Amino acid sequence: MENLALLWGIVGPGVSGAVFGAGWWFWVDAVVCSAVQVSFLHYLPGILASLAALMFNAVNKDEIGYDYYSPYGDDSEWRVKLWLFVAYVVSFVCLAGSVGLLVQDALTDKGPSVWTGVAGVLQCVLVLISGLIYWTCHSED
Amino acid sequence: MTLSRSMRTCLHSGRLALLAILVSSGIVLQILACALYNNWWPMLTVIMYLLLPMPLMFFLGSNSPSMMSNEGDGWVNFTKFLTGASVVGSIAIPSILKHAGVIGWGALTMELSSFVVFGIAILWLIQMNGEDEYSSVF
Repeated sequence: MENLALLWGIVGPGVSGAVFGAGWWFWVDAVVCSAVQVSFLHYLPGILASLAALMFNAVNKDEIGYDYYSPYGDDSEWRVKLWLFVAYVVSFVCLAGSVGLLVQDALTDKGPSVWTGVAGVLQCVLVLISGLIYWTCHSED
Repeated sequence: MTLSRSMRTCLHSGRLALLAILVSSGIVLQILACALYNNWWPMLTVIMYLLLPMPLMFFLGSNSPSMMSNEGDGWVNFTKFLTGASVVGSIAIPSILKHAGVIGWGALTMELSSFVVFGIAILWLIQMNGEDEYSSVF
């Protein structure tokens, strides 16, 4: 088990980069192969998901734990929690938004194709997973 | 079995020459993929190839913890992130070009094989660099 943790610390960031890249490249493929112009609204879930992944990687993991010596906690603890909360809200909103756009694309024929919607959902999911992977591996040290 | 010093340097330079051949054949494959079909779009992958060895160039020569160790600076992790993203990018760009119909199957296979050749060369370079640290004591 110990070896696995060490190995993860070494390749983790690389895997996370690969997943992040895969997410965005699926989106690029959908935009390039789309027959219609993809509006900016469809770009939003991906951009916001990347922002959310950045946000919850920016916190220092040590600041979240409880401070045993003072029962009322540090003054700065609520700020970290607020930041994380906003990051989670943004990521769930993008997930919901991308699924909603997929359903909308599947229902009408005039807008972007189904592949655009599917790629949007894939992009959102993969970017968020990449953020999670990066978070797990940079706290190994 | 211990090799004499001259034998070891000979082997070492032989390995370096083989590595250089690998890298140049990768470059040749990449350029062929464009030149044979008279379609210069696959050259976009070159951007990814430029990004790929960057972490190696930054950290291989310096004294900071090597890439294979667990201790991570923020920067070491970030460069590994970039490496991962550019690996996927160099597979993704030819695939997107093929999906959009800009290039054909032949160009796609040449691009992907050029990527595989570069990957083998870089992995071998890392392994050779790791070996040097052990054998330099003798």
